[in-house]
Amino acid sequence: MSRSLADLPSGASADVRVVHQFWTTIRFANGRIHQPHIERSTHVSYRVAEEKRLATATTVDDSAEGLATVRDTARSLARVAPVERKFPGFPTGAGRVRSPVAFSAATARLSPEGATRLAERILEAASAGAPGSRIAGVVNVGFERHRVVNSSGLDRPDALSAVQASVLVDRPEREPPVSGWSDGGHWDVRQFDPERLGREAAARVARTEPVAVEPGSYPVVLAGPAMAEALQFLANLGFSGHGELEGWSCLRRSRGKRVAPPGVNLVDDPRSLQTIPRSIDSEGTWTHRVPLIDHGIAGEAAMDLVTAGRLGRPLTGHALPPESPWGEYGPEPTHLLLRAGDASDEELIRHTRSGLLITRFHYVRVVDPGRGIITGMTRDGTYRIEHGELSGPVRNLRFTESVLTLLKGITLLGGESRMYPSERAGAVVTTAAAAVRSFRFTSATLF
Amino acid sequence: MEDLIRTALAVAEAAGVEYADARVVAPQRALHLAVRDGKASALTDSRSEGLGVRVRTDRAWGFAGTTELGATSARATARLAVRLARAAGRTAPARLRVTEDVGPRNGRYSSVVKRDPFDVPREEIVQLLSDTEARLHVGPEVKSGIVSFQAWQETKWFGSTDGASFTSRIVQVGAGMNATAIRGSMVQRRSAPTSFGGDFCQAGFEFIESLNLPELAEPAGREAVKLLDAPACPTGPTTLVLGSDQLALQVHESVGHAVELDRIFGTEAGFAGTSWVASEKVGSLRYGSDVMNVVADATEPGGLGTFGWDDEGVPAQRVPIVHRGTLVGVLSSRESAAQLGLSRSGGTARADGADRAPLVRMTNIDLEPGDLSLEELLSGVTEGVYLETNRSWSIDDKRLNFQFGTEVGRRIVHGELDELVRNPIYSGMGPEFWSSMDAVADPSTWHLWGLPNCGKGQPVQLARVSHGAPVGRFRNVAVRGG
Repeated sequence: MSRSLADLPSGASADVRVVHQFWTTIRFANGRIHQPHIERSTHVSYRVAEEKRLATATTVDDSAEGLATVRDTARSLARVAPVERKFPGFPTGAGRVRSPVAFSAATARLSPEGATRLAERILEAASAGAPGSRIAGVVNVGFERHRVVNSSGLDRPDALSAVQASVLVDRPEREPPVSGWSDGGHWDVRQFDPERLGREAAARVARTEPVAVEPGSYPVVLAGPAMAEALQFLANLGFSGHGELEGWSCLRRSRGKRVAPPGVNLVDDPRSLQTIPRSIDSEGTWTHRVPLIDHGIAGEAAMDLVTAGRLGRPLTGHALPPESPWGEYGPEPTHLLLRAGDASDEELIRHTRSGLLITRFHYVRVVDPGRGIITGMTRDGTYRIEHGELSGPVRNLRFTESVLTLLKGITLLGGESRMYPSERAGAVVTTAAAAVRSFRFTSATLF
Repeated sequence: MEDLIRTALAVAEAAGVEYADARVVAPQRALHLAVRDGKASALTDSRSEGLGVRVRTDRAWGFAGTTELGATSARATARLAVRLARAAGRTAPARLRVTEDVGPRNGRYSSVVKRDPFDVPREEIVQLLSDTEARLHVGPEVKSGIVSFQAWQETKWFGSTDGASFTSRIVQVGAGMNATAIRGSMVQRRSAPTSFGGDFCQAGFEFIESLNLPELAEPAGREAVKLLDAPACPTGPTTLVLGSDQLALQVHESVGHAVELDRIFGTEAGFAGTSWVASEKVGSLRYGSDVMNVVADATEPGGLGTFGWDDEGVPAQRVPIVHRGTLVGVLSSRESAAQLGLSRSGGTARADGADRAPLVRMTNIDLEPGDLSLEELLSGVTEGVYLETNRSWSIDDKRLNFQFGTEVGRRIVHGELDELVRNPIYSGMGPEFWSSMDAVADPSTWHLWGLPNCGKGQPVQLARVSHGAPVGRFRNVAVRGG
């Protein structure tokens, strides 16, 4: 890599990101493993800045010849790029080299048969907990080695390991059908308990027939998976650098102001062992802990080199791989941690008195970014709360609600945090369940 | 490339599997160019290559993919696929069955391209995007504009232990824009020719030229600004007329995904979900009104879902899905078709690159046009709304309850399009909604829309599909202003 950078002409600079990865994905459905998958790959992203004109080329060839070719492709594209006048230049590599925050050799070395066995253990536990049910899910396990080098002398390696799994237990023959869900993960497979996921999903399958409830606003308890998804949307709608730059962020006029009760503390901390840690972002900037909501007060948006330059803000270490071309994505927090409270699940339900327990959401999409409004369905375990107790399952509902209303309405936080990584740990949310004062449901489905 | 395929298949056969196929994709190219607010948003030229090996024992599949092309890597990849299949077979209660489709021998497929997008000078494309983007900024309310261009080229070699082999070269392009107008917390966006990247086609740069991007920009910018002052869409059940682009997405979400046979059989239950369609109802289920006719056509010129053979070597086909409101067909692979008792696969098993295994995917799923002119269709509306260009979409995991928001709406009063309305949302349940469709407009309103980002599977795969749709009219639909 260094040679291809050294060959750059005067006035040109560049950064190079190389990722080697090995992932095993074991999918199961109808009680058997039906799609086992292994991917072993290399990806190189080469970004050139020539006279403040930026362009990127990518390849899977990390040989010297491949790097020279991809560099030249990026250079030829950069020559026709519009000028990025406020581009601050690539950062130097000054400072102490910090090795990867956490990496589990046991996770990286897990064999295909070992990964398959994890799936079998989930299947067995779910089947024991809910005999006769249909069981589906996935185990993703693997590792990545990253290195970012630039022409200003920066050279930073990183590595991650992760296991992530989810399981759905359903009874499609019941009318209406019912289902239960669990998911979780860890950076160290030795800390991962597949049987627990199977047991939890089985336990969430309703034993009685779900009843219909009228759409409307209800107090809710959002279980961990539902909270994790809501927080991911908050990260995008409220803390994205693009949202700040383009003006559509729902929090852009609320920085430094109260947006949640004082007990709500949300940080982005890619170095926390409660996430799948990463020590650098895609531009090689060291990651660090960034407060997003501090005792209910909204913090600043996430920045990468380009957005920081345009807005004149400090880098926050949130560069993502080359962006989506239609501009919806950009720097945003990816390692969210919501500080837990101390309530048990029973206390959350007792506190809510009358409302709904939501296990997870499905197909959540943005309706109105400026107001933070999202919509989606409930799924895999929706229950009625009456007199401070779970009184029975309900048919699933569609919600249309603002993440800002959700934030403001948090009245109690659960005491048990869990890590919810995305498929290959590109994003992680660690959160507990929460009680929320009011959540708006706009229609219902048949099951 | 044929040598690599032979090497991988030989390893799999020597290991005693019942079947194996191998795909080499080299190169797979993508060019993404976008200009936002006069600056580069994404200028990315990507090139990759890879090998994918899929094997089947009597009980299970195994798949392995790599970006390293070479004989040693091919052998290692094939061995990994075999190990996975053997390990997976421990959980299989019964023998795997697949249809006996006969694959091609030395088949060749190539996109019809007049002007290869990868040969067009980048300067010409960036200039086009920059000129167009500047025109989006019609006033100070337009806080952001973006114009993007995308092109893909995939050259593929396929071989199987059944003796099937083909090569294909597919080229696809697309472009689009949007203007974002902001006042206070109100954000209004207007896209052209449609949202989420614009329109896409299996073609060369001639398709981009046909879009006349610069001419679309000012109207998009002006309408984004106008929406800031438009009244909210009225709330209540009403007659809904959907523009072609929004109806295309409605077809995608509430027909295309619902008739994927893997969803119907529960093999996507853990992620994307299942379907309200029961397998035993195929051939008799009432899906919609008599004017509803849907086909899955992988042979359609220009479609993003058009190919010679799918990634199991099954030929592209035109499959009726809904005929006069009755469900008559599904999207299938060799395994899912056999499970349904079909003698042949529908040829819709597609993979997103060499490092992904084929899944049941959409091809080009089209709602066929009727014979009413647009004026005749509107004349049947005393009071209602016309909606176009998707803004948000969401549907439950059985593809029943949906909610769509669009960028723009217009009141319809006595058969005439009237004032602009903002933040329209409509919702419903699939079967009721399609049963409420009482008119589809004629072919002059029909357009084949390319949709380049249909997500499915684990690890996630993005499929490029197309949907043809006319303007359609629906009665008594729940509509509201968001």
